[in-house]
Amino acid sequence: MKELIDQIKTRLRDQKIEVSDEDIESRLKKLIVDFRVPESEARRSVLNYFFKEHGIVPQVRAGSDKVKIAEIKEAGKWVDLEVKVLDLWEPVAETISQTGLLGDATGSIKFVKWTKSDLPNLELGHSYILKKLVTDEFHGRFSVKLNRTSQIEPLEIDVEAKPASRAPQQVTVAQINEPGLWVDLKVKVAQLWETNSEAISQSGLVGDETGAIKFVKWAKADLPDLEDGKSYLLKNLVTDEFQGRFSVKLNRTSQIEPLDVDVEIGSIAAEFSGALVDVQKGSGLIKRCPVCKRSLAKGVCSEHGKVDGTYDLRIKAVLDDGRRVQDLLVNRETTERLLNLTLEEAKQMAMEALDHEVVHSLIESKLMGRYYSITGPRIDRYLLVESINEIPPISAAQVDELLAAMEVA
Amino acid sequence: MAGMAGFSREVAKRIFAEELKNSNYSFRDGEDQHQYAPSYLLTPTGAKCNRVFIVGTLTEKDDIGSDAEYWRGRVVDPTGSILIYAGQYQPEAAQILACMDAPSYVAVVGKPNLYRTDDGNIIISLRAESISRVDENTRNQWIIDTARRTLERLDTLKNASPIPASGDFTTADNVPVSSSSSSPAQDADRALQHYHTDIGHFREMVLRALTSLRAELVKSDANSETIAVKSAIAQGAKKAAAASQAAPEEMPPSRKSKPKKSEPFNAWPQSEDEDEVETINIGKKS
Repeated sequence: MKELIDQIKTRLRDQKIEVSDEDIESRLKKLIVDFRVPESEARRSVLNYFFKEHGIVPQVRAGSDKVKIAEIKEAGKWVDLEVKVLDLWEPVAETISQTGLLGDATGSIKFVKWTKSDLPNLELGHSYILKKLVTDEFHGRFSVKLNRTSQIEPLEIDVEAKPASRAPQQVTVAQINEPGLWVDLKVKVAQLWETNSEAISQSGLVGDETGAIKFVKWAKADLPDLEDGKSYLLKNLVTDEFQGRFSVKLNRTSQIEPLDVDVEIGSIAAEFSGALVDVQKGSGLIKRCPVCKRSLAKGVCSEHGKVDGTYDLRIKAVLDDGRRVQDLLVNRETTERLLNLTLEEAKQMAMEALDHEVVHSLIESKLMGRYYSITGPRIDRYLLVESINEIPPISAAQVDELLAAMEVA
Repeated sequence: MAGMAGFSREVAKRIFAEELKNSNYSFRDGEDQHQYAPSYLLTPTGAKCNRVFIVGTLTEKDDIGSDAEYWRGRVVDPTGSILIYAGQYQPEAAQILACMDAPSYVAVVGKPNLYRTDDGNIIISLRAESISRVDENTRNQWIIDTARRTLERLDTLKNASPIPASGDFTTADNVPVSSSSSSPAQDADRALQHYHTDIGHFREMVLRALTSLRAELVKSDANSETIAVKSAIAQGAKKAAAASQAAPEEMPPSRKSKPKKSEPFNAWPQSEDEDEVETINIGKKS
């Protein structure tokens, strides 16, 4: 601690600021002891605090302009690139001596070498350091221009240019949450549907222990038919999405392998653990249509028009575990328990504040950013919460477990 | 936003501050690069994030706006710190930040934002969608959570293979059409190509975060048993520092290859030290 204080004092003295040890120490302690801030950050924070107190504005350092292709996001910048010549095209104008494509590990970019630049020609497949290029942009695509001030230095080494790769991953049905992915699935055929298009040879539902998903087998795929109730390893499917619902497509590159084991199709009860990252509109104190129970928007039911609504309390929120998101709906009973607030009390709150939003704000302040585990049936994209619990505090043993797992890995 | 056809919410990725700071690669997704296409940050371990979730200590906050309020805060985790911003377009987050005391524990959901300065440096920050005050438990949970996710990415990274280009002639800004649906493996490949990620370095980062968390947990257990608060306060800071350094040595099963013993763990983010006074920090990696 003494060391830290001395370091800070020296830095402050450089700026002609005198602060007592006690002042520095109490700030440092609060950060380090009470709020677990690492020493280097605590030092920075304390320094910034005193600099600010004394009106000293920190400055930014200058840097180099050597960049990767992927970093080019703005026109009119001067950059250096280390690249390989991937392609050369026929110049379309006398003013251009060479044009083509350059690549590095991060991507590729068009280049133009002006005739006026008087620079030597680049050779296809060779690698260079190109200095003092100017970036340019046209219709959202970037290019670099070699002009009279630019320099070309051949490289001995070969610059690796960017590949394109995609490997399918074996996933479970519940993990499919993005369209356009290549996946493998181990599933059982749950349903086969009538196809209504000649382009489709088969469609229906396949499922595993995590749920069921629609599949489509294209006629062009030229694959054998799937049988109802049989289990398969389906390889190289493409995920697709329509209005928030996912499906998988079997195409010409897909493969079907019958399985000896019987894949069990999971029940609809689901569980999910994660951080609560959003409390959505329509949470808190709401009014419902007395006829159809739909929630009202400004006193209007989308089915029955303007009605005298009845009050209800609920939460629409999103849990997120860093890999997937799960929308959830919490009904009145569970909401009351979770907030420790009855519907009557919520109405009272709203009345006193003359604003229904206070209940929404209360939900946010109590739930946002915290970790929960929930269970309940999954309907469409919602999990209807039957139980919701805050995840218990982390123990040293849990940390040890993870540290041990790191060791094995 | 509910009811929008085809709308699927972006996952909030878990990234330690140290890794965020080392991120400088962002791009817009999809075939058509229109201005509403979602933008993503690719981190050194291959997390492709449109949204990030962090929990840490808010150590500073300032209103840096000239006309309207524009709040900036610094959030610290065991590996470093990241700046968060909230202005008129994030009114709720801005208001919460305005009313919050520093230091306190906060959870932030935000969009990563890269800014290139005139001299070519890249600065990363988070535009806060929401900020909330949380307790130490949540902060500890986040460290474990983030450690797990980071280790998963490192695992994928180990198997990633940057293969030379094969007929993929698009700018990196306009990476392959399939990118809107890139798999973790593809993200890993790309991260490796762009950052030449040192897997060991980020493993050490995770190890450091976990070891310091463990030391805190062990210590607070001990504290609750023997309430010798008075003297502990005077000694506490030093102990905490010592504990976070000593812990790795006390934990034989946690490390195969020990880093140079002479170097204390907390000296590790060396590049930080010079930058400590800057309120904006540069995370540029070649």
